[in-house]
Amino acid sequence: MTPDSGKLTSQQALEHARDLLGKIARDLTISDWHLVIDVRGDDLPEAALRLRDDEKLSCKYIISIIGVDYVDWMETLYLLRSLDHSVPIRLRVRLDREKPEVPSVTYIWSGANWHEREAYDFFGIRFLGHPDLRRILTREDYDTHPMKKDAWPHRVRRTEWRWENIEKPRRLPGETDRRDRS
Amino acid sequence: MSVTDELTGPGKPSFHLEEMVLNMGPQHPSTHGVLRLVLHLDGELAVSVEPVLGYLHRGFEKLAENRTYLQYLAMLSRLDYLSGSFMEWSYVRSIEALMNIEVPKRAEYIRVIVSELNRIISHEVAIGDFMLNLGAVTPFFWVFRDREDVMDLLEMVTGQRMMYNYMRVGGVRWDLPEDFEAGCRKFLKEYPAKIDDYEQLITDNEIFISRTLGMGIIKPYEALDYGLSGPNARASGVDWDLRREVGYSVYPEFDFKVPLGQHGDCFDRYKCRIEEMRESVKIVEQALDAICDGPVNLKLPPMLRPPAGDIYRAVESPRGEYGVYLVSNGGLRPWRLKLRDPTFSAISMIPKLTAGNKIADLVAIVGSLDLLMGGVDR
Repeated sequence: MTPDSGKLTSQQALEHARDLLGKIARDLTISDWHLVIDVRGDDLPEAALRLRDDEKLSCKYIISIIGVDYVDWMETLYLLRSLDHSVPIRLRVRLDREKPEVPSVTYIWSGANWHEREAYDFFGIRFLGHPDLRRILTREDYDTHPMKKDAWPHRVRRTEWRWENIEKPRRLPGETDRRDRS
Repeated sequence: MSVTDELTGPGKPSFHLEEMVLNMGPQHPSTHGVLRLVLHLDGELAVSVEPVLGYLHRGFEKLAENRTYLQYLAMLSRLDYLSGSFMEWSYVRSIEALMNIEVPKRAEYIRVIVSELNRIISHEVAIGDFMLNLGAVTPFFWVFRDREDVMDLLEMVTGQRMMYNYMRVGGVRWDLPEDFEAGCRKFLKEYPAKIDDYEQLITDNEIFISRTLGMGIIKPYEALDYGLSGPNARASGVDWDLRREVGYSVYPEFDFKVPLGQHGDCFDRYKCRIEEMRESVKIVEQALDAICDGPVNLKLPPMLRPPAGDIYRAVESPRGEYGVYLVSNGGLRPWRLKLRDPTFSAISMIPKLTAGNKIADLVAIVGSLDLLMGGVDR
């Protein structure tokens, strides 16, 4: 975990990405030495192409595509990495939860194909222009997208449906602090 | 016109030519667990190959949302059951990073020792399975015989042979037992000779060479494009190893090489694994020399509550980059846990890699990728 082992620092990568993407990037932040770039869904293919073909940032390697359900909205994250410098880049797209749609990046990275299928399978995110958008891990006739927070209301602890509803740790009366027994 | 006329009319061959669809797996000895391949065959040639996943899907990511951080720890080594410690490691690393926990130095050394021993047995199974796919039964028994020594060592440390459940947030579960070091040094002394034995048996074998050399070639840019990592990518010449590039844990202190292949064929993938086993032996030796005294665990509350935020942490597992993306809302349970498995990316390459090959070669190519469905199907 050495943030400065690469040729680019996170700050340099951020400034370069800002020049490269211009108005496409709605927001650029550094989170834990990863560069996080927020883009709109429509701009995603353009941003992805520029990041991939840029000489400095050259994100040739796609680690994963991750869907997250925040109940009020959804997100897809594209974890990218270049082998020339070690600042991983996350492209973040915020989606409408009622109609989660985002352009596919399969023609930019071939490896994105199955990760997009997985995100579709788990969250119902539709990747427009994907060559073969089918379920991948759950069965074909499954009637729900299981990773959505409201997919199985009877199986999920109801208090934890919402982001803000954090459960307080349960302690016995009079108990101060239990140590890890393991 | 009768059916027979249609098939054997003028200008038609006297036999029926048609693409045959064949299901290979999910219960096939050479498809590594429950991978199902739908083959479209033209004679012996596979015209197209389509992997079908999900036969081992257990909903690991969903289950994480209903368990506390520590409860979930016990499940992780069931994912990629041959290299369980790496799953645990990436998971505890992500929590430690979220909570800003500094792990005691001794615990980091123990983690490295356990994980590198684990890498050795994982690669042994990879090689044994690969040879079994090619029809050679002897190496399979050899690796399983030698694997027992390492399993005994790991059982001594963790109490388990495969599902370790040994890493904890802020350290490891307990310290190394007293007689571990002597046993481990004895093993490390004997083991390189055993690798030489494998090489003598396999690497110079003419049948093995003719079946793997130049077979299933992955170009470096293809490996990146498909997101391959680990030995599969390094066999293609992609010089990337998280242990060296990111330098997590105490890896920067160790002197080890990252073996690279030149052609990216099945032979190079096998050879990379052999060389990595040798490097792992070196790393464990150095770790045993450098290990310091001190605590192996931090006193943490039983209910961990990482602050709200998201984090991605990865380790170099025997199959490549094993990553955990964790979203916490500050509660007792993960809001979202994504497990990034390297084999998932490797399998997505099978259609491109194997189409146009004969079935026998297809088995060799699939075997050389070292697939394990436990982590893929999750």
